[in-house]
Amino acid sequence: MKSFQELILSLTQFWAGQGCVLQQPYDLEVGAGTMHPDTFLRVLGPEPWKVAYVQPSRRPADGRYGDNPFRLGKHYQFQVILKPAPDDVQALYVRSLEAMGLDLRVHDLRFEEDNWEAPTLGAWGVGWQVMLDGMEITQFTYFQQAGGLDLQPISAEITYGLERITMFLGLSRSIYDIEWVPGGPSYGQVRHQEEYELSKYYFELADVSFLQAQLDGWEREAKRCLAEKLVLPAYEGALKCSHLFNVLDARGAVSVTERVALMKRVRDLAVACAHEYVASRERLGFPLLPKAREEEAARG
Amino acid sequence: MAEPASASTTAGASSAGSSELLLEVRCEEIPARMLEGATRELATRVFEELMGKGVGPREVETGFTPRRLVLVLKGLPARAKDVEEVVTGPPVTAAFGADGAPTKAALGFAQRLGLAPEALERVRTEKGEYVAGRRHIAGRTTAEILAEVLPHVLLGISWAKTMKWGSGVGPWVRPVHGVVALLDGEVVPIELFGVRAGRETVGHPTLSPAPFAVSGSDDYRAGLASRGIEVRFDVRCRRLAEEMAARAAAHGGQLVDDPGLLAKLGAICEIPGVMEGGFDRGLLELPREVLGTSLRDHQSAFTVERDGVMLPLFLTVMDRPDDPVGRVRAGNEWVVAARLADARFFWEEDRKVPLPERAAQLSHLTFHEKLGSYADKAARLAALARAVCEALGWREDVPAAETAAGLLKADLTTEMVKEFTSLQGAMGGIYAREEGHSEPVWQAIYDQYLPASVDDAVPRGRVGVACGLADRIDTLVGMFGLGLVPTGTKDPFGLRRAAQGILRILLENELPLALEPVVRAAAALYGDRLKRSADQIVADLRPFVADRIRYLLGRRELAYDEIEAALASGVEAADLTVSDLASRAKALHQVRGEQAFLAVVLAAKRIANITKGQPEHALDAAALGEPAERALHEEHGKLAGAIDAALGARDYAGALRAIGSLAEPLERFFAEVMVMADDPKVRQNRLALLQAIGRTLSRVARLTEMVVEKAEYRS
Repeated sequence: MKSFQELILSLTQFWAGQGCVLQQPYDLEVGAGTMHPDTFLRVLGPEPWKVAYVQPSRRPADGRYGDNPFRLGKHYQFQVILKPAPDDVQALYVRSLEAMGLDLRVHDLRFEEDNWEAPTLGAWGVGWQVMLDGMEITQFTYFQQAGGLDLQPISAEITYGLERITMFLGLSRSIYDIEWVPGGPSYGQVRHQEEYELSKYYFELADVSFLQAQLDGWEREAKRCLAEKLVLPAYEGALKCSHLFNVLDARGAVSVTERVALMKRVRDLAVACAHEYVASRERLGFPLLPKAREEEAARG
Repeated sequence: MAEPASASTTAGASSAGSSELLLEVRCEEIPARMLEGATRELATRVFEELMGKGVGPREVETGFTPRRLVLVLKGLPARAKDVEEVVTGPPVTAAFGADGAPTKAALGFAQRLGLAPEALERVRTEKGEYVAGRRHIAGRTTAEILAEVLPHVLLGISWAKTMKWGSGVGPWVRPVHGVVALLDGEVVPIELFGVRAGRETVGHPTLSPAPFAVSGSDDYRAGLASRGIEVRFDVRCRRLAEEMAARAAAHGGQLVDDPGLLAKLGAICEIPGVMEGGFDRGLLELPREVLGTSLRDHQSAFTVERDGVMLPLFLTVMDRPDDPVGRVRAGNEWVVAARLADARFFWEEDRKVPLPERAAQLSHLTFHEKLGSYADKAARLAALARAVCEALGWREDVPAAETAAGLLKADLTTEMVKEFTSLQGAMGGIYAREEGHSEPVWQAIYDQYLPASVDDAVPRGRVGVACGLADRIDTLVGMFGLGLVPTGTKDPFGLRRAAQGILRILLENELPLALEPVVRAAAALYGDRLKRSADQIVADLRPFVADRIRYLLGRRELAYDEIEAALASGVEAADLTVSDLASRAKALHQVRGEQAFLAVVLAAKRIANITKGQPEHALDAAALGEPAERALHEEHGKLAGAIDAALGARDYAGALRAIGSLAEPLERFFAEVMVMADDPKVRQNRLALLQAIGRTLSRVARLTEMVVEKAEYRS
């Protein structure tokens, strides 16, 4: 049975073999791999892009003090973006499962409709939850819009839930029992203290007025950066706001009406960043477009 | 020289049909909910277009799996019929010279049609005589027509949601990977999003992915069958149902019927394999509603019962014929164990906080930002449920109704309902039962959302009825009070369903409850939260409710005019009850075939015409001189008592039949008496008599609304 890190290694190996940029986790708190700028911003505009990375994803409200065998406040996603989505992307995905060591001749693999939507990113896509023997192991999405912009070309996003898959393959009764390293420290030994302490902080200790002030401050910073056309720092501000919103929400400090207003503020930043990103790439002549590459090669 | 002025066609030789089309479109997994409709649309539109082009098939067969849409047409003709067209040319006067020889115009016309001048004919038209020529047009081949129709129809399928893929290809439901289009074994050269049609298909993506060639529909079906794939949806559903029933029986149990779930399972596989799994017997202590909902919603699984007791078993589909190493079962059981462990956790945690305590927490839950919290709603519901009980004379049910109403929404704070919203109501009822509340109370909470659809049952018992009515009336009045009247297809608060629920509850229990006073009471309970007055709300609700009544009575096989006549009798009356209205419509339905009644309806229409625009006249009975008018007056006088008695007993058919006794004197009156007499006193007295009779005739229903074919009435 594969350990947590062997699963990461086999997926990394497989997608590196498909010519993906092996990126590293983004070094800010995010709720999902989609929010990494190498997904959210790179899917915009005409430039091709292939990337794979692990992204620790924080969902403060899902924390359970390390008590619940199935739920985590921070979990790890393996994220792949293929832009444009190749014609055989679904078959490639199936091969990635085989690369994990699955013998699909004895499993039941099904693709059930599940359309993804992230209102705070102005993003949505069409796709499936991939079910293996009745268990959702992957979210597979063809992005249609991000930051409120129609996408062309279309990117395929493949998001594997790493803990779930490891757990499921070993039929473990608890996330904390899975092996991080073969025979070596378990997931619980590596992460349990963190789950407990983060839950404690997010649910009980986080200083609401401090976080609210932080959120206001990061929003101002993001807008200042946008005014200067510094899109990546602006987007980091938007990510900060998004995370602060999630913490406030877990802390029970967001009322129903405030919730709508806060989500709109985050969305407005994300949408503004998306527009500014496309403009900034255009100013650079969309450097990843094949023609631009050829010209560069010719000049060199 | 003018172009042909007109053209007409005549049929050529016909061709017998024995050709077969096999069409298969393969793509990535199509959402289950869209498959059936899309396949039907594909078949219908191809059929219609081919019929329109003269190459309709004799038989149409369809099939689909998540990865394929299949259409088989049999008995297609090889080609459309040839057509002979008569083309009209120049007028005869311009076509031939004085010597009778064809002019330049005629020669040019003949040449354009490729005819010798002597082959020209003459036709007569409204404008005179013209020369004409015949042109033979060969019918197009079916292959040619299919090549045009198929891509056009496939691209035009109206999917509920579409996408683009790759460099921006689409929109369609999912990326297309293969097309088989064979007419009698020959490829029809079509293309769909750059994918060219051919003769190769594939099997199951992981079990039999190698491509294989097919020549026609028999071969295609056999090739797929040897790989375990069945493209006929109904066959898959039937096989699944049979196999699951057999598995259930093997455990001495029975499958819990769920047609919607079966259709879902049939649509998410192409190999209809049954997956059987078990779960820990100890979980059976959970309410069956919870087990059933968790298994259905999370795992698309059926449950099994023996003598009304659930067995620790579930059955669902796997897209494969077997489970060679037991891994599919192990996986499914693992997921189910995790899901049910969650449900058990909710069940245990939820019961630590009893419903009355939860009801207090409802002040944090917003019902509507302008209408306050669910705690505010609960307080109104208790008062309104009391008002409903009192209006119906159910005094002894008031305490239970108040208790139930106060707890009605408490389950919205439970983890179970947050996880399974479809359990709201039922879950509150189960927790109330666990807490030892009386049967009327827990059942009222349990049943509060009934009826959820037109065919659903209504709440059990008086307390359930009172709570179900109070909840919906409160919502309707609140939303109407904010001016949120549903328009068009927009009804975000489900107000049409709420109104329909109210009417269904009243109709099926034949409750003599007048809605208007309850509506006014509900409006008063909102205090100053509403923007509109009780009068305005009543006025807005009246046509809204009347529309729902029309719909519901229409579903009970009452005719449009019967419903309108009954509605017109009392839709404005404050003490109107819907069950009374239904009885009136039913009475009209019963007696409408009777001759005397038909005569009275015709007379009522005649009276309405004559008295239209007339002021109310006073009747001076002593001044009625003619025998026919005295007879009518006398008969009318005798009638009042009979109608009063029948109406008192709510015997509307009896009242209508009693009115029938006026048919004969009315007929005689109209035959012998001149209403519009010259003497104004005589005229006004006769009009007064007719006005009085008109009022009597309208006491059950407005008879003038009834549609009577003259032929129906044989005088």
